[in-house]
Amino acid sequence: MQYKGLVACRAGVGSSLMLKIKLNQVIKEHDLPIKIEHGSLDSIMGFNGQVIITLSDVAKELKAKKLKQKIVGIDNIMNKIEIFDKLKKFLVEESTKE
Amino acid sequence: MLKDLTNEELVRLNIDAKNWQEAIRKSADALLQNGKITHAYIDAIIKAVQETGPYIVITKYVALPHARPEAGAIESAIGIATLKDPVAFGNKENDPVKYLFCLSAADNNSHLNALAELMDLLERKDFYELLDCAEKPSEIIDFIKNL
Repeated sequence: MQYKGLVACRAGVGSSLMLKIKLNQVIKEHDLPIKIEHGSLDSIMGFNGQVIITLSDVAKELKAKKLKQKIVGIDNIMNKIEIFDKLKKFLVEESTKE
Repeated sequence: MLKDLTNEELVRLNIDAKNWQEAIRKSADALLQNGKITHAYIDAIIKAVQETGPYIVITKYVALPHARPEAGAIESAIGIATLKDPVAFGNKENDPVKYLFCLSAADNNSHLNALAELMDLLERKDFYELLDCAEKPSEIIDFIKNL
């Protein structure tokens, strides 16, 4: 299965763009079945994928909203190991859910 | 390209800042003085951090202060600032902050390549060494021009 992820932050022009660049590097290196979209927090309303990836502080705020998507918060956007581990965890959880 | 969005006027070295608010205001001042952002944009950055937390601290020692384009971004630009003494932003993973790259994004995409280049730099030890040792803004700008 191919999953859809949304990278978002408050403004949608800074941290989330950097995070998107890093995510795509990790996804490509490990050939993960996730396709990344990008936007500001406003774009969450119209997003129909399975996972929202953002900075940890923003993730805390989103988790309180009880969205249907899984929320993944990244602490250090330069840390590819952290990003890979968290994406892998999401994929494992999704595959055992079905 | 990063070299198109920054210049010597936007570099501030060894800023004296007592707390994170002052660090943001003083690093963003270079963009304000050069007509890249409005006062309201700086206030919006601080308000966003107060409301959401220090998510602009993106990796160890590094903050990327920025707000939404409509908050007062006049022209896309990236400022480069270093602090004399690091300050805590309340980000337990990445504190304290020593380097600030204040971003003005006047639209959503023209700065994408510049950000990608900046990310490559943030993985280079020699770039951090240069930020620590540089005495003049030109040293940093020359480095970026030669990428």
